[in-house]
Amino acid sequence: MELILKNMPLFLQGLERTFVLATLTLLFSTVISAIVGVMSVTRFRILRIVALAYVEFFRGVPLIVNVLFVYFGAPLVGLSLGPFQAAIVSFTLWGSANGAEIVRGGFNSVPKHQIASAMALGLKPWEIMWFVIGPQALLPIIPPFTGLFTLLVQATSLGAIVGLTEFFRTGQIVVERVTIMTGDNPAYLIYGFVLFTYMAICSVLTSLTRWLELHIGQRRGRDVRRGPAPLLPASRTVESV
Amino acid sequence: MSDARAVVSARGLVKRYKGMCALDGVDLEIHAGEIVVIVGPSGSGKSTLIRCLNGLETIDAGSIRIDGREIPSQAREEWRLARQRIGMVFQDYSLFPHFTVLRNITLAPIRAGRLSPEEADKTARRLLERVGLGGYANAYPAELSGGQQQRVAIVRALAMAPEVMLFDEPTSALDPEMIREVLDVMRQLSSAGMTMAIVTHEMGFAREVADRIVFIDRGRIVETGAPEQFLRSPRSPRLQEFLAKIL
Repeated sequence: MELILKNMPLFLQGLERTFVLATLTLLFSTVISAIVGVMSVTRFRILRIVALAYVEFFRGVPLIVNVLFVYFGAPLVGLSLGPFQAAIVSFTLWGSANGAEIVRGGFNSVPKHQIASAMALGLKPWEIMWFVIGPQALLPIIPPFTGLFTLLVQATSLGAIVGLTEFFRTGQIVVERVTIMTGDNPAYLIYGFVLFTYMAICSVLTSLTRWLELHIGQRRGRDVRRGPAPLLPASRTVESV
Repeated sequence: MSDARAVVSARGLVKRYKGMCALDGVDLEIHAGEIVVIVGPSGSGKSTLIRCLNGLETIDAGSIRIDGREIPSQAREEWRLARQRIGMVFQDYSLFPHFTVLRNITLAPIRAGRLSPEEADKTARRLLERVGLGGYANAYPAELSGGQQQRVAIVRALAMAPEVMLFDEPTSALDPEMIREVLDVMRQLSSAGMTMAIVTHEMGFAREVADRIVFIDRGRIVETGAPEQFLRSPRSPRLQEFLAKIL
């Protein structure tokens, strides 16, 4: 305990880094997820293909490889990214690919007849998206997105491999330093502390989004999920064949 | 009737789904003030037909004119504007579950710039009153019965002050005791002189309100006529067979 307190300034520094890293990553990932997610459900084929390719590519790459590739590969395209930028870019690329897939799933969960009835009212395509489909897609998106958020927070620890001194790396440094100075290895203690801190951050995040989900659910949908099931009756299926 | 202007007119409609012909050369005109009821066995193409009439389905051949103006299938924007003048009610009501009844009704007229928010509000409440749902403006769709939802769906379409209303099996998804309340609202519309095309299986209702009944089978109009003649003395064997089954 004393060990941790003594190294607190260092830990706090690392924690701050982690917070900035996580906040920016979540922010960018959310925005890009929304954009790519919408792209993947538009009626424009080229946009759909681009979105699909993006999602498939980055979902298929291990995050650690992705981080290293962005860091070392950036100069190839004439960019020089520091560890911090490289980490943000690679986490965002990965997070957005996963997020876009969640957004797409949310849109697809909205029944098709909602679109038809919005069209029948003469609404513009963006109005249908914004007023009718979007809000209905939001609710089912929130829980998986919470999961993604916690994954991304955890993923920030991978910044360590490109030399970013974030929270996890700070812990590592403290362990090394103490081992050299005192000969004792406090690894179990320090990593235990690190573990609980990550866990605490993630559970705060989870409860925040749970609150949001409840709030939105109450304000907007009420019994949306339990409402009388809109029938897609046999006659319609037969008819459209 | 036939000398009145055609609000909606379809010529030689052909619609194919994966090689199957859902509509195979259908001609249909709906004149101002006229009520056309479309009947036929399931899979006959009647729903497809009515969805073509407001451009929800693209057509493979033929033409559709709204108020005398032809609108091609690919003209999305033209169709969108046309739909603001064509009300449609679906089988599965399709209210927006995340909006209150009031917002469901006022959204389109406000977005289209037809009505100011205040006017839309007033219109919606007046129409709700008329269909016996005065107290439900702030309810959510999930809190209403199927029949009530369908009445709201009708009001939602009416709020755009359409020239013609299309109904795609408006009572087929309803429990029997709720069918009447919806048909009553449609009767109100018919006595108010609304132009309507209705796909339905309610033959009693058809006989009562229709100016003309159209029988469609396998994508073709087989027979058409005034209700009495149509129901009493059907000419084609296929219609005779159909009527024998459902009456």
